[in-house]
Amino acid sequence: MTALRLAWRQARGARRHFVVFFACVVLGVAALVSVGSFAAVLNRTLAREAKSLLGGDVELRSARPLPADVDGELSALVSRGATVAPVRELVGMARGADNGRTVLVELKAAAPAYPLYGRLATTPAAPLPVLLRDDGAVVQRELLDRLGLRVGDRLALGSVTLTVRGVVESEPDRSASLVTLGPRVFVAPETLERSGLVQFGSRVRYRTLVKLPPELAARELRENLARRISDPGVRVSSFDEAQPGLRRFFTQLTMYLGLVGLASLLVGGIGVASSVSAFVRRQQPTIAILKALGASSRTILTMFLVQTQVIGVAGSLVGAALGVALQPLLMAALAGFVPFTLEPRIDAVTVLRGVAMGTLTTLLCALWPLLDVREVRASLVLRREVDDAPPLARRRPWAAAAPLVAGLAALSLWQAGSLKVGGIFLGASVAAVVALWLVARGLVVLARRLPGAPSPAWRHGLGALRRPGGHSARVVVALGAGVMLLVAVALLEENLDAQIDHERRREAPSFFFIDIQPDQRDTFARLVREATGGTAPALTPVVRSRLAAIDGEPVTRAMVQARGGEARETTFYYTREYVLTWAAEPPVGNVITRGRWWDGTPGPPRVSVEDVMARQLGIDVGSRLTFDVQGVPIEAEVASLRKVDWQSLTTNFFVVFSPGALDGAPTTFVGTARTPAATEAALQSAVVSAFPNVTAIPVRDVLERVGLVLADIAVAIRVIALFTVATGLVVMAGALASTRYQRLYESVVLRTLGATRGAVARAFAVEYGCLGAAAGVGGTALAAVLAWVVLTFVLETPWRFEPLAMLAGVGLTVALSVAIGFLATFRLLGEKPLPVLRRE
Amino acid sequence: MVSVRALTMRLASGGRPLTILEGVSLDVERGDAVAVIGPSGSGKSTLLGLIAGLDAPTEGTITVGGVEITRLGEAALARFRRQTIGYVFQSYHLIPTLTAAENVAVPLELAGARGVAARTRALLEQVGLGERAHHYPVQLSGGEQQRVALARAVALDPPLLLADEPTGNLDSATGAAIIDLLFALNGERGSTLLLVTHDPALAERADRVVSLRDGRVVGDRRREPALTS
Repeated sequence: MTALRLAWRQARGARRHFVVFFACVVLGVAALVSVGSFAAVLNRTLAREAKSLLGGDVELRSARPLPADVDGELSALVSRGATVAPVRELVGMARGADNGRTVLVELKAAAPAYPLYGRLATTPAAPLPVLLRDDGAVVQRELLDRLGLRVGDRLALGSVTLTVRGVVESEPDRSASLVTLGPRVFVAPETLERSGLVQFGSRVRYRTLVKLPPELAARELRENLARRISDPGVRVSSFDEAQPGLRRFFTQLTMYLGLVGLASLLVGGIGVASSVSAFVRRQQPTIAILKALGASSRTILTMFLVQTQVIGVAGSLVGAALGVALQPLLMAALAGFVPFTLEPRIDAVTVLRGVAMGTLTTLLCALWPLLDVREVRASLVLRREVDDAPPLARRRPWAAAAPLVAGLAALSLWQAGSLKVGGIFLGASVAAVVALWLVARGLVVLARRLPGAPSPAWRHGLGALRRPGGHSARVVVALGAGVMLLVAVALLEENLDAQIDHERRREAPSFFFIDIQPDQRDTFARLVREATGGTAPALTPVVRSRLAAIDGEPVTRAMVQARGGEARETTFYYTREYVLTWAAEPPVGNVITRGRWWDGTPGPPRVSVEDVMARQLGIDVGSRLTFDVQGVPIEAEVASLRKVDWQSLTTNFFVVFSPGALDGAPTTFVGTARTPAATEAALQSAVVSAFPNVTAIPVRDVLERVGLVLADIAVAIRVIALFTVATGLVVMAGALASTRYQRLYESVVLRTLGATRGAVARAFAVEYGCLGAAAGVGGTALAAVLAWVVLTFVLETPWRFEPLAMLAGVGLTVALSVAIGFLATFRLLGEKPLPVLRRE
Repeated sequence: MVSVRALTMRLASGGRPLTILEGVSLDVERGDAVAVIGPSGSGKSTLLGLIAGLDAPTEGTITVGGVEITRLGEAALARFRRQTIGYVFQSYHLIPTLTAAENVAVPLELAGARGVAARTRALLEQVGLGERAHHYPVQLSGGEQQRVALARAVALDPPLLLADEPTGNLDSATGAAIIDLLFALNGERGSTLLLVTHDPALAERADRVVSLRDGRVVGDRRREPALTS
């Protein structure tokens, strides 16, 4: 009670100290709450829209028409009251019937019952079957823009000509992947039939959407169907597990954003600790008086703890409010790739969590410096005839460090929601802080060792760096942490952009042409040669197949479950459609890791398998794989394993057969061609006009789409990382302000000795510039390490040195810290010397 | 009331060890008013601080009210100061962020006393500052600040009142008024007073005068009873 009352009164004198403290907590909590709210809204939307996103209660998905036994199951369901809507999706080329322009589109043909959930919004608003009647098409506006068409114009698709009857405004279940290959085109099922696009070799996704009557439970039905459909190639999902890929992506994105937010709270913690320690130093006389009056250390400690906690809670509340207020901003930044509308909402749990984290961080970070209260001796009040005793070897409150570290660790784990990620974050944070602290120490040592600096500004500026109180370390650590995050994001972006660019320039073809039929091969080659001015396309034969057996054991759902469990990554390798090819020589760029490539001698069929696939399937050289090609089993022995660089934009294969082994199998060709950017559109139009069934995938366009999504993600991370930088700057301002009195005295003495105001300002500039340079160099170096780790181990992309981005990081940090330094101290320059000296 | 035995205090000054007090022994009777005089650097302030338990001596023992305070830990010392000692400093040592009334209230609140507001008001009126209760230290003159400090020192009616050069920062007229007040407050309460000063005139008002020089007791005389009457 006493402590509370004292705390309340005592706080009056501490406002200046607590501004920085308050701002740090506000920024940190705001970062956490804005990310948390975003994640909460995202999760709620994903859950609420789950049926729309899947398209039904249950979805069956396959790369081939559903087997007959599945049809039986579905008929049984319909008789029990279920609604079934088969949907086919594939990519194809749309061509303006009158102007010849072409665009890669994502086609969709759905049964009249579609959509079973959610709403397909079209302009004009009319039922889809009505709009699609008599070869109608409903398309995304993007297609009209790119083809220069309007509603009512004609559009060629394969061998049919359609009339555009409307525009799709929103489609409930179109969110399977973040990057789409092209605009959507809806056509009627019979139109698709006649287009000739669904033929051997084309990649069609067969989806069957099921809406269940209330008495049937989706999950139970999913399990029943999964048990009864033996073909593992048919994937059965229920709505409550819809879009696991998308969900996983968002879970990870919000987790990373949350960690960036936590970083800003931890940097804020440095600010809290630093302003509390400055505060305790300033309060030493008061503490000594209170002790002389009989207050125990415990009472005083409690008093200050109450004060700091009140500010911590208040800062957390304001921060939470700010975070909630900023939510629409973050959503706008991310709207580009969130495939549904999000409504900002206040999520109580997130707000409470943010406030709890802010309060806890305040407690942990304030406690350590507050323990110094115990070291303040009551005898300070004595008017001593001599200097005071030398400072006692300070009792380091290591016993308090354990709960402190444990508390911060718990916070990290709580935010990360995973032991592994939280642990990595914690380890990285500790490493970063230690590294930055060492940089700061290095700066101080350097400032001390440097021989007589040439000019007074440098001499005094460098001298100021070793000012007692250790403000250098705090500034460098706090600012450096922010710089690290921001520069790391910039470096990652630069690297990925450069990678995309590099691929584009290097051996990347301009186009992939798929589904070229054998009889089109020669004409296709000739046409491309003419259109590109002499460059022949590279044509690779491909045979589409499925894995049928491993070492004679048939691949069934039961077998997959027994061998791979439920891990999606593993299941993928058993059930995917394999595009096979054959070759006499190893593909360029592939590296044989085990076994040997075949020589020219004829022999039984052999295959070379990609190494990750081999690992996932648990096979090795000598294993026997059976592929089902249009119902015909082809068995081959694994002769070698290969490492494939999937990032190289060339035709890469999981499985390559020895020549002759696939003779007689139905074959199509994949063509690649390079052409200057200026002639790309012409080549695409020429090919699509001549071969309506061939799909041209424009690499530049796809890379640009990927780049846009990456840019959106980078914006989101940057928004949150900015909080960290802002907190770092506040910490810096606070640390500089805590040296205010000393600084004032020094500047006044200098001016009394004849230094101009400008000379003092220059000395300040040297000091702030050096601090900024240390934080910039340290932060940027750590950013490079962080970016390298992420690129190498997470994105598996080669690291490139980006000196410009790094130099910019250092330069901006120096500029910012000089600016903030002056903002925090410029008023000192205006003080008149005499009153200051008299006060001393 | 106070019993000091073989008290020695050494500090380091500029890295060199410096002896402040050397084997000081002293007994103070309950109810006595004792002045400790001596030149600057004679160790008198240190002696007072040690008796208040503000610091620990290098050697020797101090017993106050039957308690050997040189054996007490930090928390017990704080309690001892709260319950036994009233301290008046040369430079007042008011807490700058608290008003006059709040400063006086601090010891009452630390002791968990009841009716703090009323007692604070009464104390301030007693030192003649009833009107200035809500002023902050910077808004008070030196003399006024020392009055607040006096009120604070006697707030809990401590049995031992320690005053360290209470007039050292004041002009002589103000100083005299403070001394009158100090003796009046002490007289009313029947407490023991230990007063450090280098002003011989001031020392003459005490019952007993102890002289220190270079950390040793060099004189100890009781004032002639004849002079008091």
